[in-house]
Amino acid sequence: MKPLDILEVLPRSLWVTTCNSGSCNGCDIEVVATLGPRYDIERFGMKLVGTPRHADVMIVTGPVTRFMREKVKRIYSQMPDPKVVIVVGNCGCSGDVFYKSYNLVGPVDNIIPVDVYVHGCAPRPEAIIEGVTKAVLKLESLRKKEPVSNVVETVGEPVAGEVAL
Amino acid sequence: MWGQINSGWGYWNVFIWLFFFVLISFFVLWVRSMGRMDYKRNTDQDEIYWSGNDVPEDGADISVPASSSYWGFRVAMEPLYRFLNSFHSGNASDYAGYFVVTTALVGILILF
Repeated sequence: MKPLDILEVLPRSLWVTTCNSGSCNGCDIEVVATLGPRYDIERFGMKLVGTPRHADVMIVTGPVTRFMREKVKRIYSQMPDPKVVIVVGNCGCSGDVFYKSYNLVGPVDNIIPVDVYVHGCAPRPEAIIEGVTKAVLKLESLRKKEPVSNVVETVGEPVAGEVAL
Repeated sequence: MWGQINSGWGYWNVFIWLFFFVLISFFVLWVRSMGRMDYKRNTDQDEIYWSGNDVPEDGADISVPASSSYWGFRVAMEPLYRFLNSFHSGNASDYAGYFVVTTALVGILILF
């Protein structure tokens, strides 16, 4: 891809907000590592913001606990349109080993629409970056109001034994 | 009817202030016009973000009161504060009396 084409794909910075919906913090640490100096995703324009009202992308980590259901819905609804949701980690994608827990109402796509799934426990920063690139493409197609494929992007392979709900 | 105010042409000149007020207002409105107007009114998108929680009706319900500042210090010094508070009657005559007594004591210390 020529440099000019890359610039056309990402014409503006991607502002991201995170939401821990019951994660063990493992995925959050990987998200922080993605933003840290080694992977430094800010050099591509991905910037963490403190409020969903400024964000284009919502990164959700963890299965959604009963306590967090309304909060996740509210944070999602406070984001301006168009918006994209990335789920990071097996728990948010499927519930993983907690899928039968009495206190879960997740996975995340039971609560809010999800655009990109990043599998792993916890996923490596490279996988999160790949998920972000897929989110950029989805977001740009939403901004241009192009027809969006219903196929949901998935990064990484679900781990062996992961339960498909 | 109106007295003439002559402020000269220095820093306090009214017309200079008005000029800069209009100039800065224009600049502020220009910046504001570049903001996004496509948010959905009367939805959560124009509500206050409070970490996903309901915004409380009264901020005092969730805020830490100022009286909690230096809590340990206040508790440790409570006997002294209770003693000092006993002097505070709210009567100005009492405070004037304290002033006179203190001045007299200081005067005695200085003179003798």
